[in-house]
Amino acid sequence: MLRRRVVQTLALAAGLITAAPAMAQQPFADVGRQPPITILINSSPWYAGFESTVQLYEKQTGNKVNLDVTPFGGMLEKARNAVRSGTSPYDLLNLDTQWTIEFYSGGFLTPLKDIDPGFDLPAEVLTYNDSGYWNDAKKWRTRDGGKLMTYSPNGNVHLFMYRADLFQGAGLKAPETWDDVMGACTKLQQPGRVYGMVTRGERGNGIRFDWMPFMLGKGATVAKDPENGDFTVVINSPQAKQALDTYIDLMKRCGPPNHGALGQSDVIQLLATGRAAQGMVVVAAWSNFDDPTKSTVAGKINAAVVPKFADGTHGVVIGNWHFGVPRNVPDDRKKAAMAFSKWFLTAGAQRAYLDGGGIPVRKDALPPELASNPKYRWVKAYVDSQPYAKQELGYAEGPQVEQILGLRLNQALIGEMSSGRALNTAAKEIEEVFRRSGRRTGASAALPE
Amino acid sequence: MPSRLLDLVHNTFRYWSLLPAIVLLLVITVYPALQLLQMSVSTIEFVDGRDVWSFTPGRNIELLLSDPVLPPAILNTIIFVIVTVAVELSLGLGLAILVGRLPHGRGGARTAMILPILVPPVAIGSMWKLMYNFDFGLFNQALDGLGLGPVNWLGSTNLALISVIIVDIWHWTPFVFLILFAAVEGLPVDVIEAAQVDGATNRQITWLIVIPMLRDALAVAFIFRAIFAFKVFDEIYLLTSGGPGTATEVVNLHLYKVFFEQNQLGYGALLSVAFIAAILAFLLVSRRVTRDTTR
Repeated sequence: MLRRRVVQTLALAAGLITAAPAMAQQPFADVGRQPPITILINSSPWYAGFESTVQLYEKQTGNKVNLDVTPFGGMLEKARNAVRSGTSPYDLLNLDTQWTIEFYSGGFLTPLKDIDPGFDLPAEVLTYNDSGYWNDAKKWRTRDGGKLMTYSPNGNVHLFMYRADLFQGAGLKAPETWDDVMGACTKLQQPGRVYGMVTRGERGNGIRFDWMPFMLGKGATVAKDPENGDFTVVINSPQAKQALDTYIDLMKRCGPPNHGALGQSDVIQLLATGRAAQGMVVVAAWSNFDDPTKSTVAGKINAAVVPKFADGTHGVVIGNWHFGVPRNVPDDRKKAAMAFSKWFLTAGAQRAYLDGGGIPVRKDALPPELASNPKYRWVKAYVDSQPYAKQELGYAEGPQVEQILGLRLNQALIGEMSSGRALNTAAKEIEEVFRRSGRRTGASAALPE
Repeated sequence: MPSRLLDLVHNTFRYWSLLPAIVLLLVITVYPALQLLQMSVSTIEFVDGRDVWSFTPGRNIELLLSDPVLPPAILNTIIFVIVTVAVELSLGLGLAILVGRLPHGRGGARTAMILPILVPPVAIGSMWKLMYNFDFGLFNQALDGLGLGPVNWLGSTNLALISVIIVDIWHWTPFVFLILFAAVEGLPVDVIEAAQVDGATNRQITWLIVIPMLRDALAVAFIFRAIFAFKVFDEIYLLTSGGPGTATEVVNLHLYKVFFEQNQLGYGALLSVAFIAAILAFLLVSRRVTRDTTR
């Protein structure tokens, strides 16, 4: 009897030991059989990671997922056509952060809990300033009184990239402040061969997005308190001017002569070909730098949190994407979309996503020890950036405000007008936009021009 | 069928046989145009997944009159049209006459000439953007090889518009060439031979005989190219997006931004209507002028 018990216990222990790896690998969701779904997804540096994760989902569950891969320029119109038609051809739409207000306020998406009342975002999932929630009464993206409309498959924030080998050779530490960046630029740039620092300066979304870390770093903003209905325009503040002057100074002294036309692909190209010692790009661009088929500086670039002003804070702008379920989709496909979403947000799926080259949206898929792996040396900067990350232009007039800022900032950068005049002009035009929309708005004192 | 009815059908056949074409025209042209007009005096918002229209002509007109980007867009468009059409007509005409004089290989020359038209607009934009690239582009590398400094082709407010114009000229001169070359090939040989017998020089034949006989073809080429030039979009969108500043902003691009990026459907429709009216006015004036000169 005793012998039998010992044998049974040993057998059980052996079973547990051999099953442990399998159990540890089971942080996926069992979603059952679902009808095929179609996802509208952008072609991007992180697409390969997403695609491999989808393939894993199909293999594990036997459920089919069709991917309509579309360049960024075509995404918005495809999404609009889908939700404004009789039945959407897509069951999950991938929306850039600046488009979400249009889709939330237009009533084009089904709140996720309306499809699956038991669904909740796992606590580990990053919510990027709650941009997936929509409070329709306040017309604001907030968890407070808001419904969960979307979740992020990708949380793009800026990271500051720098050539670790050049920094080490010059005895420099990773830049913490914009003064550090300027100091490094002065030491490292070689006219005609290596630029000190590059970031976007092209008119439109490019300069708006890449200047805003400077703006946030100085504590400046566009409108006073839009969440609570105060749309007084404050973009032409002394802090915003200092932010703009610093940005322009860096671009002119450290960047290429065509800084007013630099786009994202140009910045990535300059960093990846070793023509830039420092640069600011979104985290999703990382895969370009360590791939020896795309980069001449593979293994030489490190990432840091976006620098701050000596008297300010780190300014990090969020440019995340959002998966939402269109309202005009049959119920069975909505449920299938939710099944995929639940699976995608599990720890196992997010780790697979990371391995495939994606940027996970779960904190536990990005443990600190991961950064000791050279392949994931960007992770610490990404995680450290999160407390500072902010959403901007989260109101219906956002696209118009972006176009105004995108033009006037660019004009200041290329010298068509002074920074003071650019911000005053932008402020006046933005105030006009808010006034026409019926917002409670006003102006600040003009800056000297 | 009673004979009276038959007669009626027979006599009116030419009218009601046009009915299918008229219906088609109404559906695909008139109806969308009427809806565009309706949009142009409305503000359109979306609530609960549905479009909500409100009649706001005053608001849209106020937007049109106070739009700070519109004046530079109009100016750039006019400059673009004048320069591209003038250069393309001149180059197209010159090439058509030169190729027309070739004793052999005209067909091959014509085929080679039309290659730029065959390239898709996105490929053209990508190709030229690479060539204009400040750090890696072909042009600046060539300049570097000659010991000259790089040029900021797309990032300089002085050069950006001319850089885009160059692309347009490269792209569309073959189109003008095709129209004029067809006309050159159709010129009566005996008239030219008679002039040669009378002792006219090549220059005199070209300016006093060939070009006057090409007036109709020139008028057609001019109208086609001018209309397309007014509507320029893809080259600007791909190369500069209207920047730097407003250096390359054109009406069509601004319209796209208002309608699709800012989602201002009503104002975007009004801009479209105003733009169409301007092009129609230009067309009427051009027809009048070309009719007078070809008489």
